[in-house]
Amino acid sequence: MSSILTCQDVSINFGGVKAVQNVSLEIQKGSVTSIIGPNGAGKTTFFNIISGVYKPTSGKVLFDGDDITNLSQHEVSRLGMARTFQNIRLFSQLDNVRNVQSALDARANYTMLEAILGLPRKRVEDRRNFEIAMECLDLVGLKEFAYDRPGSLPYGMQRKVELARALSSNPKLLLLDEPAAGLNPVEVEDFIQLLRRIKDQRDLTILLIEHRLKVVTTLSDEVFVLNFGELLTHGTPEEVQSNPKVIEAYMGEDEEEEE
Amino acid sequence: MSYTATVILNVLITMVAVISMYVLMGLTGIFSMGQASFMCIGAYAVGILATKFNFPFLPSVIIAISVGMLSAFLVGIPIMKLRGDYVAMITLAFGEAIVAVLNTFSNVTGGAMGINRIPRDINLPISFVIVFLVVFLVLNFKNSKFGRQCIAVKNDPISAASMGINVTRIKMTAFVFSGGLTALSGAMVAYATSFIDPNSFGSAKSIEWISIVFVGGINSLSGSVVMAALFSILTEALRTASNLRTLIQCVIILLIINFVPNGLFGEHEFKDIFLWLKKKVVGRGRKTMKEAEK
Repeated sequence: MSSILTCQDVSINFGGVKAVQNVSLEIQKGSVTSIIGPNGAGKTTFFNIISGVYKPTSGKVLFDGDDITNLSQHEVSRLGMARTFQNIRLFSQLDNVRNVQSALDARANYTMLEAILGLPRKRVEDRRNFEIAMECLDLVGLKEFAYDRPGSLPYGMQRKVELARALSSNPKLLLLDEPAAGLNPVEVEDFIQLLRRIKDQRDLTILLIEHRLKVVTTLSDEVFVLNFGELLTHGTPEEVQSNPKVIEAYMGEDEEEEE
Repeated sequence: MSYTATVILNVLITMVAVISMYVLMGLTGIFSMGQASFMCIGAYAVGILATKFNFPFLPSVIIAISVGMLSAFLVGIPIMKLRGDYVAMITLAFGEAIVAVLNTFSNVTGGAMGINRIPRDINLPISFVIVFLVVFLVLNFKNSKFGRQCIAVKNDPISAASMGINVTRIKMTAFVFSGGLTALSGAMVAYATSFIDPNSFGSAKSIEWISIVFVGGINSLSGSVVMAALFSILTEALRTASNLRTLIQCVIILLIINFVPNGLFGEHEFKDIFLWLKKKVVGRGRKTMKEAEK
């Protein structure tokens, strides 16, 4: 196996706050990797560095052989990385299928002139992208809600729409920021099954941040632990769970607790 | 031209301008307080070309649109990376600057005297064709990847960028497209009134268009078109009571914002209303048939 994502000594400071310090890690192609850590450990900040929202103060990020340290969000996305957000960020004024289609729209080839005149190439491409978006919605089991707005769906379903949206561009690496937050135990089980199914169907590497131990232990091949912006340890879920340093970092906190 | 024809012509011109504002504000969420300056640019392009160089109608209109798009592009470069409120401030300043420049360069623009004797080359049929064309283009724009990306950027720029949408570029596309349309409305003004002066293109006009888009329904092209017509007819009807006009307009705006916060049409287009009506009518038809079978 080769690595798809490599971080070398990545650090970021916000003023005096060292949110992420000297984090180096490698994600293997085709694996499911989790990042865990107490609240405020810098997990989401780390995600934001990888996906191009923030530029690291120092260090390097390599994605599938390309240096993406200084690329902006949309450039990183076009190289084949997709993500979801901790607090769901769907487009409220587009219906679900158009939400899913947005990643494909960003990659559609027709020009402005073809668009405003409604020429055949635009129509063909739009129809094709629409069908792909429908397939993705079908994959997460929400085809019947294609024409509803995301705001009218319950929380768990919105998470699935966001997942479908991330999948639509057929990414190489999928970043999931707390995909199970706010879901009830039944929905969590459902979500784990869904992720497994997607993983089997597609050539995909998944990196996820999660607080739910169940998701972490059942899905991931490898776990990285962040604490106060630093990498504490890594290993298989069993190794990490029995590591005294990890237990210490979580001390006084319930591991199952949600933010 | 008769009085009624002039009124209708004004309505059509306002429609084009408001549609351009709809592209910018309704779809993309950019507040341009200086959009009237592009109307001004379009009008002056036509004014200068038609009076000094005797250009015929079509070429001058095309050049006016191009000049509008070019200036939108130039203004867009520095402001596209800024946050919404700064964009509003800078476009406001740009709008006022254009008026000042036109007032000062009197040997080319006629200064505060404006430009006179522009041929009245526009008539109602031509204006109707222009409005239909503009509606057609903007509807296509809305229903293409561009329109959807504009809405995505308006709703959540960070999420949009993470989907691979180039936020700066799509905002620029909307700004230039809208600038071209506003310049077209300016060209129509020049041909319709035959006299233009810089002071009629101040920020008050831009703000009026913003309020029309708001009241019509922020996400609805139909709403913008209908409201543009209503407001400009209202302005005309209250010409004799001009101090009442502002009051009445404000009352209408306040009532609509209070009772229909999403604007008159909300997010719906005429198409949706037709579909809904059809469903009602067809549904009722079926019911009566069933009753008849019984």
